[in-house]
Amino acid sequence: MAVMRLKSEASKLVLSYLWWVIEPLLYVTVFYIVFEKLLSRGGGDFLVFLMLGKIPFLWFSKSINTAANAMLTGKGIMGQRDFPKHIFPYSVVLEASYKQVVVFLLLFFWLFTQGYSLSQACLWLPLLILSNLSLILSGSMLAALRVVYLQDLRAVIGMGTLFLMFASGIFWDVRSIADPEVQQLILTFNPLAFLLDAYRQILMHQTSPDISYLLVLTFLSLVLLGLVHWVYARQSQYIAYKVLS
Amino acid sequence: MAERDWAISADKLSLTFNAGPIWDRQQYQVLKQISFAVKKGETFGVMGRNGCGKSSLLRILAGVIKQSSGSLRFNNIGSRSLLTLGLGFNNDLSGRDNALLSLMLQGEEKAEAKEMLEDIKDFSGLGEQFELPMRTYSLGMRSRLGFATGVTANTDLLLIDETLSVGDQHFKYKAEQVMLEKLNGEQTVIFVSHNSRQVNKLCEHAIWIEQGAIEASGETKLVAKEYRCFMRDIK
Repeated sequence: MAVMRLKSEASKLVLSYLWWVIEPLLYVTVFYIVFEKLLSRGGGDFLVFLMLGKIPFLWFSKSINTAANAMLTGKGIMGQRDFPKHIFPYSVVLEASYKQVVVFLLLFFWLFTQGYSLSQACLWLPLLILSNLSLILSGSMLAALRVVYLQDLRAVIGMGTLFLMFASGIFWDVRSIADPEVQQLILTFNPLAFLLDAYRQILMHQTSPDISYLLVLTFLSLVLLGLVHWVYARQSQYIAYKVLS
Repeated sequence: MAERDWAISADKLSLTFNAGPIWDRQQYQVLKQISFAVKKGETFGVMGRNGCGKSSLLRILAGVIKQSSGSLRFNNIGSRSLLTLGLGFNNDLSGRDNALLSLMLQGEEKAEAKEMLEDIKDFSGLGEQFELPMRTYSLGMRSRLGFATGVTANTDLLLIDETLSVGDQHFKYKAEQVMLEKLNGEQTVIFVSHNSRQVNKLCEHAIWIEQGAIEASGETKLVAKEYRCFMRDIK
């Protein structure tokens, strides 16, 4: 389903698959102009810093926000037969992840040409991406359920991701916070801030991230995913009833 | 009815919808105590005006939603498929992809589903349009694709919602032929329509639903007559 959607999306747009790369680049450009050029808030390698924050964040925010409406796009087919409803959020995340693979590969290649060398820390990159993916999956599954239990949450989810954009250190460095306690607080209780910081630690500073934190985060996300999955399986007909009524 | 002869048995099915903000919840009763039985291999008719609850009944029978109360039992019915007016398709995907998704959601393996696609293309008579996105389809083309997909899939129970009323004369004829074939086949079919003539042509037994409750049931001829009288009187 995700592959079919990618195909159809690409067929509708003039620049087709190029949009996968153009879109994140446009976001980065806007941020770069505002913070580096207008506010002069950047630093030497601000562009790299910004990309390593914004690009993984876009993967997260686009998945969650699209998933929040995913059930409604499936309304037609949901009225025809009973089937596992989790395919809607899953296909949203899968679609976003396919694009992300391409964007990541290009990003890593670009970093390499910019003189950032590969180090041992890069070995942790797959775990980091896996952890990021499991967080996105469980978040998207929850976001998609909002249609069923709290229709009104749609606006809140949009606000939530906007808040996370400001609170996760995309255009500012969490590590520049003077108070070490506040810094630790953000890195512990905002998993997204931790993940974005970890991308920078690995790729910019050739340092390994906190592995035990990564493992715990992945584990908790997968447990949450399992729980939500169970709710989906139990409530399949109820979900259809709510979406259709 | 002997134990092995029946396919569906519905006992006092009711369905309620809630609407409105929490401080002013309204309840709508869509179906009220619907009971009927369908024989194995039979084509069973359901008639009634628009908004009488026919489509909700079909959704319950298809397992899409659950009834609020009452019991519904099936005998030896594994797969069920609901055909409605060509909705339930993703507009940006081609007819081929839509049919494939539809078959796979029905539980067909991908390889088997792919083999069925050519039959669907033939039956629907869509030709080259089969490869174009559904957003370019007319209402008639959508219903042709929906019908073709539904009858090609190997389901034990086929639920048809007014599909025959759309499409051109030629397709209507083709569709009716298939339905008549199914009459003698293994497949159990439930056919829903506001048109009593169509139901009369295809079904031996039928029910008539008015405002969510059964108004008449039994032999189609008699039920259809009562329904027609009622419709004439309200005009």
